Amino acid sequence: MSAKPIVYIVDDEEAVRTSLATLLDIHGFTTRAYESGKVFLEDVDPAGPGCALVDVKMPGLDGMGLLHKMAEGNIRVPVVMMTGYGEVATAVKAMKAGAVDFLEKPLDEEELLTVLNRHLSHSQIAAQLEEQKVQAHARLAHLTEREREVFNGLAMGKTNKGIALDLGISPRTVEIHRARVMEKLEAHTLSDLIRLALVLGHRHADGS
Amino acid sequence: MTLKFAAERVPDSSQVGELGGANLEERAPSGLTVAEDQATRLESIINAVPDAIITIDEKGIVTFFSAAAERMFQYKAEEVIGRNVKILMPTPYSIEHDGYLDRYLRTGEKRIIGLGRIVVGRRKDGSTFPIELAVGEAVAKGKHIFTGLIRDVSDRQETERRLHEVQDDLIHVSRLSAMGELASALAHELNQPLTAISNYLLAARQLIQRGPEHVERASDIIGKSIDQAMRAGQIIRQLRSFVQKREVERAPAEIGKVVDEASALAFIGLKEKGIHVAIERENALPEVPIDRIQIQQVLINLIRNAVDAMEGRDRRDLTIRISRDEGAVRISIIDTGAGISSDMEGKLFQAFATTKATGMGVGLSISRTIVEAHGGRLWFEPNPDGGTIFHLALPLSDRPVP
Repeated sequence: MSAKPIVYIVDDEEAVRTSLATLLDIHGFTTRAYESGKVFLEDVDPAGPGCALVDVKMPGLDGMGLLHKMAEGNIRVPVVMMTGYGEVATAVKAMKAGAVDFLEKPLDEEELLTVLNRHLSHSQIAAQLEEQKVQAHARLAHLTEREREVFNGLAMGKTNKGIALDLGISPRTVEIHRARVMEKLEAHTLSDLIRLALVLGHRHADGS
Repeated sequence: MTLKFAAERVPDSSQVGELGGANLEERAPSGLTVAEDQATRLESIINAVPDAIITIDEKGIVTFFSAAAERMFQYKAEEVIGRNVKILMPTPYSIEHDGYLDRYLRTGEKRIIGLGRIVVGRRKDGSTFPIELAVGEAVAKGKHIFTGLIRDVSDRQETERRLHEVQDDLIHVSRLSAMGELASALAHELNQPLTAISNYLLAARQLIQRGPEHVERASDIIGKSIDQAMRAGQIIRQLRSFVQKREVERAPAEIGKVVDEASALAFIGLKEKGIHVAIERENALPEVPIDRIQIQQVLINLIRNAVDAMEGRDRRDLTIRISRDEGAVRISIIDTGAGISSDMEGKLFQAFATTKATGMGVGLSISRTIVEAHGGRLWFEPNPDGGTIFHLALPLSDRPVP
């Protein structure tokens, strides 16, 4: 089960920060507010689900600079840029630099909630996938060479017999390996196993 | 009016002697006596002088009234001669004039004699006009004769008034253009409290919709929203008082406060530029008689210049120092910018001299005009740490800064 998504608010203006946190708290979001991009970078959970509302104009590290730092640090929290009225050109630049969306200040409530919900759910799915992937990789590490070969075959939808033929072993041996694989990967059914292979982005088994 | 009359009344024998130097009874070729001939010549000379000439005796009685005086005051000579000169002055001068004469004759203390002074004249129809009056004195047979040379300076005053008007307009326009440059920064600045207000109100509305048990919290939040509205109002108030076109008026002002307000306006939109600002001030600074808005205009101009000079520099320190000088308060704006090139040094205060891509180059020229009108001084020197220091000295009294 993944963590509750967090809305990060990054704005040097105390009043904007606090008021936005108040509004989002009331709407049931979990918020964290930061007065600078620097403090945000120190505190953000790089993999956890969330969405950052970032003011484009800030002293020191500005919105654009923050996007670059996040890319460098492999922080995949989606960023929604907050711009002043009529700063569309800046917004376009921000989106080219990796922001997922932009909102004009003063913020429109409905737009704010729509944008947030959209990116939070994307982020949540991405975070879940990421989590599963990490877990799957960890489990995969426990497999022996032979077991991994069997797993590859299964992931490609081959039968025990087919795998046995490929590996030059008896179907009976394949069956024993398969049971071990299922156990180590905590898969109850074949479909669990296949889903796991998908999460891992299983490609190498097809020989390419 | 004839000069025969005047000649009798101007018995300064030395002058007459110079003119003639001969027997006054001798006949000139014209058939006139020498005295008559001289009088005619003197009359033509006097009437050619564009200034009005009036002579009076010790009691202030007019003894001579020139043709220019007739035109200027609209009286005929015969209407004035023999009457007290005070009919040519409006009150209170007319009432005080006899007193001045008495005092002078008694004490010999000169108030106007030998000096020029701008006073007010009064025409026959009662209208008044500015005149420049110079008074000379002669003593003959123990009697004083005073001669007044009078020039109508209405035109000159009108010209000067226009000049001031144009200057005021220019100062105002440059203030507006300074504000124009600040406008987009200002829009951002105002957008912050507006965003906060909107967020707080949305939050409060959400709470109120949820039911009466949330009203107290909603009310707290509305309070915060009001604070932000006040803040927005404050920003606008400062700006309004700055751009309003108004009469120039000087009043004693706390210089620290003047500087604070000016920097607040000048720093709008500058925080992204990463400039480190320090304001240093001595304690117990005296009040300075200034036109607050104009001096703030100068300060804003100097601060924005300093900021521009530091664009793209590694070190961006701006120091504003308020200190006491001899009979003055000095405000120094110290930047660590590029400094002033030697070819700009000489023409820095000239209008339309600029190194900036945008801007008209009138800021410093207007600034100096304003400061000098205050009897103050505006100058610059290189900053020993790199960059430039602009000094602005404002006198504590009406006496100008040396």
